Amino acid sequence: MKAIEIKSLTKNFGEKQALKGLNMTVPVGSIYGFIGENGSGKSTTEKIICGLIHPSGGEVKLFGKDYTDADVRAKVGVLIEAPGCFANYSVWNNLMLQAANLSIKNPEEEIRKVLKLVRMEGAAGNKFKNCSLGMKQRIGIAMALLGDPELLVLDEPINGLDADGMRIMREVLTDLASRGRTILVSSHILGELEKIATHYGIIRGGKMIKEMTATELEAGCRTFVAVTAKDMIKTKTILQGKYSRIEEENGYIRVYGATNPEEIVTYLYENGILVSEIKTAKIGLEEYYIDLMKEKGAN
Amino acid sequence: MEKKFEKNTFEKRLTSMLKVDFRRFFTQPLYYIMVGIAFVVPILILVMTTMMDGTTTTNPHSGVETTIEGFKNVWQIISSASASGGGEQAAMAMEITSMCNMNLMYFAVSVIVCLFVSDDFRSGYAKNLFTVRAKKSDYVISKTLVCFVGGASMILAFFVGALLGGGVSGISFDLASVGSSVLGIIMCLITKITLIPIFVSIFLVMSVIAKQRAWLSILLSLGVGMFLFMMIPIMTPLDATVIHVVMCVAGAALFSIGLGVVSNKILEKTNLL
Repeated sequence: MKAIEIKSLTKNFGEKQALKGLNMTVPVGSIYGFIGENGSGKSTTEKIICGLIHPSGGEVKLFGKDYTDADVRAKVGVLIEAPGCFANYSVWNNLMLQAANLSIKNPEEEIRKVLKLVRMEGAAGNKFKNCSLGMKQRIGIAMALLGDPELLVLDEPINGLDADGMRIMREVLTDLASRGRTILVSSHILGELEKIATHYGIIRGGKMIKEMTATELEAGCRTFVAVTAKDMIKTKTILQGKYSRIEEENGYIRVYGATNPEEIVTYLYENGILVSEIKTAKIGLEEYYIDLMKEKGAN
Repeated sequence: MEKKFEKNTFEKRLTSMLKVDFRRFFTQPLYYIMVGIAFVVPILILVMTTMMDGTTTTNPHSGVETTIEGFKNVWQIISSASASGGGEQAAMAMEITSMCNMNLMYFAVSVIVCLFVSDDFRSGYAKNLFTVRAKKSDYVISKTLVCFVGGASMILAFFVGALLGGGVSGISFDLASVGSSVLGIIMCLITKITLIPIFVSIFLVMSVIAKQRAWLSILLSLGVGMFLFMMIPIMTPLDATVIHVVMCVAGAALFSIGLGVVSNKILEKTNLL
């Protein structure tokens, strides 16, 4: 079953076409990493899913029902841009308002639960305006988690979070997905997204250019051998004589297409180079995304 | 397998929305400031105009003399008697006694409604609200009801302030001289309160048009409200009868429903961010 199904979605802002026939499928129970450049249409898509802006055309379904269905929408949690909280209210009172909005039967217990999940129990009495950026982001997530939503739409949720905050976020989202909840998460921090996402959607210029599972991404990522030596310039020149794609990245020379490190060590030794370090690795989501963007940009 | 979602009835949705709005409205400092102003203003007006009553000022350029005429009766600050009621105040439409009265509260209501609604959008709370609320009518009905209660309490605060101000300034409480009676005053107050939904629904339309721009919604509300401001003395005289009450209730129902539909359509058709 599909938690989100979007067909031929368009959105115009005056003359500007933000979405140009976007298609998207998010399976139930998945953590869907929604990736794209600034202005590619990620936030617009998320706002349409949440009913905050109206599409110009196309179809949006949530759990098989139209996205305007009141019963389905009552089970959507959202964190888009900034958490929607009143600055002069305490964290607790902001959450109490949303709990009332969601008709939660035992609000105090539910609020304590979500605050514990995001490790914010101690800050319940703080005024929202006095919270740090990272704290505000966690409060926004706590608010989105109220009412045990079936679908969570999170736009850049890890912005402003420290390392511990990111870890907590990973744990929370993974736990929710394991309980069958669906999470649509957009982020520019692809390294973090890669650790949790089960599905990906890559959007560019208002169109979905690639949708894939984490397994498909893994299979699609190229392997390479990374080498370091004392004379990197000479080593690179020698390797270029045998291998077609050589790149220098993070202090390593990457030899794409090579799978056997011993072969490279021998080849370099024969050419008078002693290898300091050698390892095989795979490109990550970030590099895959950059490659894809270059490829699509060239087309 | 298809997911089952709990059915949210209209009653359940409206109850939860009302809980949110009542909690927000009656915990905002602005409401208590407004009620305080509503209470103090009649006291200040009555005391000050009584002190200045009969004072003559001369315009240095034209040499025209103006005599300040204060309130002769406490009830003048509530409203003026209808022409048929024979009240002397009916002829004083443009004087201080008919300008500075309870009707000013409708302008104060515009400020509180506009700030209350714009705060939803400015804070970003509207995102949380409308994501889980596909039906915008809940929002419109709830806002109208809550602002009506808030506005009514401001009218009552003004009334209490007027009674206190009258006592302090020592002016007459005589009802007969303004062509009214106790029942007439009660009816007058009821008409004043029942007119609030008319103004609230106008201010709500302006607020959902302007969204987070409170200044724009206040400006639009005052502009449009001005047209209806002139009808208040006719609809709510000191000698109001059941007919006036029925007319006000009918007007309130008509405006609340009609303009409520307009607000609902605006929220449904426009972007909420």
